[in-house]
Amino acid sequence: MKKWGEIGLGVVTSIGGFLEVGSIATSVQGGANFGFRLAWALALGTICLAILMEMTGRLAAVSGRSYVDLLREHMGIRFFIIPLVAVIVPSFLVLVSEIGGVAIGLQMATGIAFRWWAIPIALVGWALLWRGTFSLVEQGTALLGLVSIVFLVGALKLHPQWSAVGAGLLPTAPSHDGAKYWYLAVSILGASISPYLYLFYSAGALEDDWNIEYLAVNRVTAGVGNLFGGGLALMVLVCAAVVFLPRHIEVDAYEQIALVLATPLGRTGFALFLITLCITCFGATVEISLSGAYLFAQGFGWPWSENLRPSQDSRFATTYSLLILLASVPIAFGADPLKLTNISMVLSAASLPVTVIPLLALMNDRRVMTSHANGWLGNTALVLISLLALVLFVAAIPLQILGGG
Amino acid sequence: MKDGLDLRHDVQDAQLVDRRHENIGRCDALLLELRENAPPRIAAMLIGGPARSERIGRWMTALRRLVPGHTRAPEGGVSRIPFAAVRSIGNTIELDVLRDDLPSEHLEQWLARNVICRIPGAESKKESKS
Repeated sequence: MKKWGEIGLGVVTSIGGFLEVGSIATSVQGGANFGFRLAWALALGTICLAILMEMTGRLAAVSGRSYVDLLREHMGIRFFIIPLVAVIVPSFLVLVSEIGGVAIGLQMATGIAFRWWAIPIALVGWALLWRGTFSLVEQGTALLGLVSIVFLVGALKLHPQWSAVGAGLLPTAPSHDGAKYWYLAVSILGASISPYLYLFYSAGALEDDWNIEYLAVNRVTAGVGNLFGGGLALMVLVCAAVVFLPRHIEVDAYEQIALVLATPLGRTGFALFLITLCITCFGATVEISLSGAYLFAQGFGWPWSENLRPSQDSRFATTYSLLILLASVPIAFGADPLKLTNISMVLSAASLPVTVIPLLALMNDRRVMTSHANGWLGNTALVLISLLALVLFVAAIPLQILGGG
Repeated sequence: MKDGLDLRHDVQDAQLVDRRHENIGRCDALLLELRENAPPRIAAMLIGGPARSERIGRWMTALRRLVPGHTRAPEGGVSRIPFAAVRSIGNTIELDVLRDDLPSEHLEQWLARNVICRIPGAESKKESKS
């Protein structure tokens, strides 16, 4: 019985945790520019994320160790320094963008310029990390994040041509603006497959004391949770396609994005959009800060746990504190949150190979995985994701230059 | 099949814990002792930033020198633990030492004393896991 409760909670956490500044912004831009045609990128990204989460979760449940811990031990410090930098740099930029997302939401709600909100947001997030336990941080924000279901309501009210949405799930070559199309595809993939998500998930499995009996919980959480989460992101894209595409509106500010819900649901929709934006971005803010602290602590072997008192793991607590406070600085100086979001999604996509490819070695190491190592299906999937990661690594930055901005 | 230690796989970079099973860093380097008329043997494990930097490369050592305060740590912030202190080797390596005695824990202790414990709530958090 207890297990089913945990499965439910896990699924809710994945749904609530899926939407954040990157997936909202990139889905809206995708829908506004190309209608339903980029739906496949969202579907592909969601499937990849679900697979990576299932594997890093399984790794943690079977070995009792996090992915980062094993990465350092098996690859050595000389290699480990590469994923460390390749993950922390884009994650930090995503963190800045998330704080920007909350700040923009509050600006639209109150009329007070977003830059003034940056430091208060960081302080509230920091206080939650400082005082809260892991389950409070993870589940609290995710439960509130369920408000994002409003995108499903919005999409249903807009009566899109569902057959066309379905057709968008199959990749097609663009009829116009090729560079922009592929750039947005990369951004959507980067927003869906965020390294901080699966690193957080694997650390979270240990925070929640998962063991080998949790393999089913892990599979359902990663699979069903992400399916629904990705489904909601698809609804964002659908709303944007119906609202923006026929009116030829180019989305270049968050203020416009609110229209995706204000059009079908009026003032209530506008308010719910702001609430969703603030809550989901705030949830991501604390998760990314924690994820960064896990990365350093596990890589260098420090004591770590969100359930310990800060005095018991002072380097860990210092790391998340510095991350969240420093990330508020660019926003406080007025950096453009949407531009930052776009750049960080592309960088995040480019960073994937260094965390995806080593997973292939670990998931097949029977000393670590015993009888739960990857089968041929898992390995095929992981090889394909690795190839996708390499393509993104090569193509992301050139596409940002050609198709972005 | 396992009748020896694979140093690179089982020891180097492994998570180290102290007598109370608290994390005390990773095996950042291994020291071999060269003896006359006898085969070399492992003398010690090194834990700490400087030992790690040397393995990463010269650029990292140079970068590290730029960080202020690194010289104030006892022994330069490196713990040198004799291999005889190894109690068990498994998922982690348990060493017969205490976290508070290690020079490599200098930063952890300094932060706890001078920063973390000066902020309200550092000691009182919720139900503790351990």
